[in-house]
Amino acid sequence: MSEVERRALMKGAAMSALAFSVGGSQFLLSPRQARAENIPYRTLSPQQVDTLDALGETLVPGAAAAGVSHFVDQQLSIPPEEALLEARILNIRPPYVNFYRAALGAVDRASLANNDNRAFAHLSANERRDFVDQMRQNKVTGWQGPPGPFVYLVMRSDAVDVVYGTMDGYSALGMPYMAHITPTKRW
Amino acid sequence: MATLEKVDAVIVGAGASGSLFASVLSKAGKKVVLLEAGPDWQLSDLISSDLWGRRVKPAVIPFLLEGKNPYGYAYQAGWGVGGAALHYFANFPRYLPNDFKVKSEHNRGLDWPIAYADLAPYYDKVAQEIGVSGDAKAEEIWRPRGQPYPMPPMKTFRNGEVWLKGLESVGIRMVPQPVGMNSVEFKGRPACIYDGWCHVGCPIGALANPVVTYLADARKAGAEVRALSTVTRVLTNEAGDKVTGVEYYDARKEKQLQPAGVVILAAWSAQNPRLMMISATDKHPKGLANSSGLLGKYMMAHYASGTWALFDEDIESHMGTIGGQFMSYDRYDKTSRKGAFGSTYILAGSALKTSDLGGFANARLDLFGQPLADFMQRAKRGITRLTAFGEEMPNIDNRIELAESKDEFGMPLARIVHSFDQDAVALWNANFEEGLTIAKATGAKEFWSARGNQPTIHLFGGTIMGSGAADSVTDSYGQTHEIPNLWVAGPGLFPTEGASNPTYTIFAVSQRGAEQLVSKWGTVAG
Repeated sequence: MSEVERRALMKGAAMSALAFSVGGSQFLLSPRQARAENIPYRTLSPQQVDTLDALGETLVPGAAAAGVSHFVDQQLSIPPEEALLEARILNIRPPYVNFYRAALGAVDRASLANNDNRAFAHLSANERRDFVDQMRQNKVTGWQGPPGPFVYLVMRSDAVDVVYGTMDGYSALGMPYMAHITPTKRW
Repeated sequence: MATLEKVDAVIVGAGASGSLFASVLSKAGKKVVLLEAGPDWQLSDLISSDLWGRRVKPAVIPFLLEGKNPYGYAYQAGWGVGGAALHYFANFPRYLPNDFKVKSEHNRGLDWPIAYADLAPYYDKVAQEIGVSGDAKAEEIWRPRGQPYPMPPMKTFRNGEVWLKGLESVGIRMVPQPVGMNSVEFKGRPACIYDGWCHVGCPIGALANPVVTYLADARKAGAEVRALSTVTRVLTNEAGDKVTGVEYYDARKEKQLQPAGVVILAAWSAQNPRLMMISATDKHPKGLANSSGLLGKYMMAHYASGTWALFDEDIESHMGTIGGQFMSYDRYDKTSRKGAFGSTYILAGSALKTSDLGGFANARLDLFGQPLADFMQRAKRGITRLTAFGEEMPNIDNRIELAESKDEFGMPLARIVHSFDQDAVALWNANFEEGLTIAKATGAKEFWSARGNQPTIHLFGGTIMGSGAADSVTDSYGQTHEIPNLWVAGPGLFPTEGASNPTYTIFAVSQRGAEQLVSKWGTVAG
């Protein structure tokens, strides 16, 4: 690949850490590290982050600590050609942030309407589980937004990616990773 | 807009068929330029990761996906050199003789203007050229005799072998899966190490993707690849009887005009007809080479009926290749399934990863939370999948057509309108049923169907070949009926799709077409 193409594509393409910006400087971190170091979000609002963390954790235990919100937030801030999100192969039309805002908004609107004005992140674990089960089956009352089962698929995929799709995830699961070309950061 | 120096041939798309055409033409001494919309990937870019592997697929697509079963474009498509064959599974089954005469034999679908015998020598040639591992003799229970493959079959693993008893119980014979992978070192490319990362691009060259085969040969013979170059129009002369070159935007988004003696469209089944429609002129008001009105028509996709099985024993679910270990044509007769029509192609055993669309986290899409975590633990060593691919008949309503909205270059997007008919749905269901019968006979602890929306896999049609301009867009070589120096390559030429993986047949058809183009160059080139 020529230098021009490299610039046109992704910085650090040969590395699998993500570039997080802090105070004008860039750091290559895994989403888990970015969360642990409290790296500021670039695209998602605090409420969207809360919803995404709660949703991710409900879908796949460990997703919040694995940095699902930092992963998605960082991915939404880069050009779509560079994105690693499953949204890319599910034919979601860029900019992907439009889908995420609509999806997270739909979750919270439905949660507020159906749960005594409480956002999804403020539901109990059992209530979250019930909500997601209804969303998966497209049965949430008054749902307005992208189809619930599709939101379930996309968000579940992101959570699976950060928990099970990384080298650390394989290691925690006890499954050999066997990379030809190893992602240089074990995220 | 700069006008560049004229070349003998410009090829739009550096995937499977474009790379092969480039190799044959440049070895014949032609000056060839390939224009590829995506990047010029190197093997070192192919990181072993499902997340990072998504980069070799398109993010921004110029299509609107419509119909009852919208086509799953991005997962199937390529972006960059190698095209979709940079991330393909490299299963190399052939089409069988019954695939070429569906209309004649069943009064359904369409006939190809050629027969299996016309293509057979090219299957053999491709195998010797890029390397195929398998047992040709074992396959000859279903097809005419041909040359042996240059490499022995790949290793098998328990995740494939556990299916054999169940398949035998319903009378399905399995043979080693032929693959475009190296079971032993081949032409300086190393043997496979069975780590299952084929689908994100094999960076050691053990898998025969175009970057290490035809495109490498083409470059060695002088072909030039211009990456990040998006073709927006095919240009014709005033009379409309010759193409003169193409207009494209280069990596700096600057418009260029590339004159050429021959234009070969090898940008996949959807993009080729879109470009030909966009290039309409007063001489070709419905799009280039479209007096038949069939440009963009008869789009087809495969679908799969997957069956999952979970065993108590460690079956090394992570080992092998992504493609398959065993295959069968025992349900390939078009009328194998009562109440349905079309061939079924069966594959058993493949390496499984955790995430992405094919990962085993999706084997139970209904699970989330702790039940999913528990399932992942149970499945990590004991899960395996059986896959039955089904054939869709050509339907004129499944089509590409231009849309009102435009892409970043101001060119119209296109719609891909796709719906499965009742035969395809019935065959899909019948294959699920037999999958469960087979799984039960394996003695698996748990088994279930991978049901969801009916998937769309591979893509065919849109520029079908035929006997004349009244019933098709090109002849059997890919030469358009109406513009002699405009050629089309790839699965868009296929009038029917069979049920088996298409890339080996794409290579064989392209090899035949490219050799024909060289042989009649003097009468074709503008």
